[in-house]
Amino acid sequence: MPPLLKQLTLRLLALPVTLLIITAALYGIIMLAPAEERAQLYIPPRTPPLTEQEFQNLMNRLIEEHGLNDPYPVQYARWLGDLLRGDWGWSPTFKGDVLPLLKRRLPVTAELTFYAIAVMVPVALVSGVLSGWRANGRFDRGYRLAAFAATSVPPFILGLFLLSIFYVGLGWFPPGRTGIYELSMTTTDFRTITGFLTFDGLLNGRLDVVGDALRRLVLPVFTLSLLYWATISRVTRVAMIEEQTKDYLLTARAKGLKERRLEWRHAFPNAAGPALTAMILSAAGLVTGVYIVESVFDFNGLSELITKGFFVAPDAPLVMGFAVFSVLLVLPIILLFDLLRAVLDPRLREDGLEL
Amino acid sequence: MLPRRFLRRRSTILGLTLVLAFGLLALLAPVLAPPLNPDDPWPFMNVSQSFSRQPEPPGPGLPLGTTPQIQNMPQYGIAPGQDASFQWDVYYTLVWGARSALRFGLVVTLATAFIGIAVGIVSGYAGGLSNLLAMRVTDAFLAFPVIAGVWVIQRAFFGNIYNPFGDPLALTGWEGFLYRARIDPIMIAFILFSWMPYARLMNAQARRVKEMDYVRAAEAMGATSRRVIWRHVLPNTIAPAIVLAARDVGGMVILASAFIFIGFGGNVAWGTMLVSSREFVIGLNGNPFSYWWTFVPVSLALILFGVGWNLLGDGLNAALNPHGR
Repeated sequence: MPPLLKQLTLRLLALPVTLLIITAALYGIIMLAPAEERAQLYIPPRTPPLTEQEFQNLMNRLIEEHGLNDPYPVQYARWLGDLLRGDWGWSPTFKGDVLPLLKRRLPVTAELTFYAIAVMVPVALVSGVLSGWRANGRFDRGYRLAAFAATSVPPFILGLFLLSIFYVGLGWFPPGRTGIYELSMTTTDFRTITGFLTFDGLLNGRLDVVGDALRRLVLPVFTLSLLYWATISRVTRVAMIEEQTKDYLLTARAKGLKERRLEWRHAFPNAAGPALTAMILSAAGLVTGVYIVESVFDFNGLSELITKGFFVAPDAPLVMGFAVFSVLLVLPIILLFDLLRAVLDPRLREDGLEL
Repeated sequence: MLPRRFLRRRSTILGLTLVLAFGLLALLAPVLAPPLNPDDPWPFMNVSQSFSRQPEPPGPGLPLGTTPQIQNMPQYGIAPGQDASFQWDVYYTLVWGARSALRFGLVVTLATAFIGIAVGIVSGYAGGLSNLLAMRVTDAFLAFPVIAGVWVIQRAFFGNIYNPFGDPLALTGWEGFLYRARIDPIMIAFILFSWMPYARLMNAQARRVKEMDYVRAAEAMGATSRRVIWRHVLPNTIAPAIVLAARDVGGMVILASAFIFIGFGGNVAWGTMLVSSREFVIGLNGNPFSYWWTFVPVSLALILFGVGWNLLGDGLNAALNPHGR
């Protein structure tokens, strides 16, 4: 098997293991709550008021019926089996099945994540390389100031200030995901294909929808990218500075190669390794950031399940489903950067970070 | 000498000043902003009871004005009995918020650093299968967004504590303990789900140091594993973890405020104040800053808190790790 293909299969096989470890830990946490509390999930709707004795009997029956006193491995295996069969449980908070609740909101979150990465990664790599190649130059000094500012302002505060300036003050970028187009999309024959508004708009030939979606994406994507841009370009910059001291560059320079070729063809692939590792390590943080930014800019993505729910009875199916979806969002990002790293650096094809 | 190398950079001094200033603010809180009830100070103080929802502007007796009305929300660390239709003094919360922020940041950072360092160093020094296993679990946790962890814990354990129709002070057992000790789901989740960077770092360090001659020599002299780890491995590998921890204090508080802002329960008072002013950020009649006092001072406090710890971490990094960066 070609090494890259072998690498791909290995990484793909590692993904379910990651998911298993996390869900096992989370399910363990949920199981710490007493069985009576977990049984409240299964109280049938429209149960008439019960006396204490009747309530106790009902509880005991529910615990018995759903095996809530079984040992942990049994319950975890049962939950996992249900998950794989597509039965993700029922959420009392939203009064609906969990899987459709999550599926409907996934494209919103995925679209935001996609654009944040698509904007942030190239900009971060380019600015890191440029500033690291001529460290302490004019560009580098400007860059360092910008990166410091970007890491100082927390994304949710930045989002608030951007909203108040660009929405309230100037009226350029409204919050929310769809605005008035929501109506025109439900009344006309706008077909949802990918769930990404920008792609669907193109596929439906509705450029006005694309334009509106892009306009509404500007502020959230900027807010989200800024912090990660600073983190990742800093790592790239340091790596570029370190590469400059290496002998292979001296050799290449002695051969009379152009400076630009040295910078991008020789030094950059080596410096990209640490940068991609940094991206892998901050992938989970990025998804957390997406949820926060969604909430600030009023996007109805997965975070809506958190912010719109009230503090009622424990809602284990929903939180477990949300956790699984969150990990499912993170894993492709990690896989993507991991493979990129293996493509750029042949040394890593053998032993890399295995996530 | 470390102190001189540490204090040589101007940015480090700025960071140290900021951190010390917040420490002083937290320490002198009872003097700077005397609480209504000296025995049990909460980071919020009622200043007016009115039927108006508008935040009151700064004026005599109110150095930074008031927040808008806040409902009685136990999840935000607001004491029961400090009922709805009250408005809080911004200045008071700013001062006492420093205390809650430092408490949160230090507890979380020390606990995560402890767990991570223990996992990393023990598995790294032991090597073999246990190392493989520990790192596999660490990598799996790294793919887990902490926000989902906060939610899992809040929904599993804080249902009664944060019940808006209940009285949290009447709770007994572990629920009562969690409420009175002001332990929130964010704190627990951060401790459980953010030790991984420390573990990875210390694991790599321990594996490197393990092969060094001084460790080999100690082992050959018959030192126990525990002694080798305490006396030789830990002191020679801890520096980068200290740097990471210093940067984490600010970052953790900011992330916690963000979580409180989007609707989780938590006891970082600055975050709570930002939730309360959420609707007022958009201002009045196209002027976004017409209610500036409800969000600008507290945003600045959060930013400066983060910057201070970040600069302190950078300074420690430059002093402890003279080769890199």
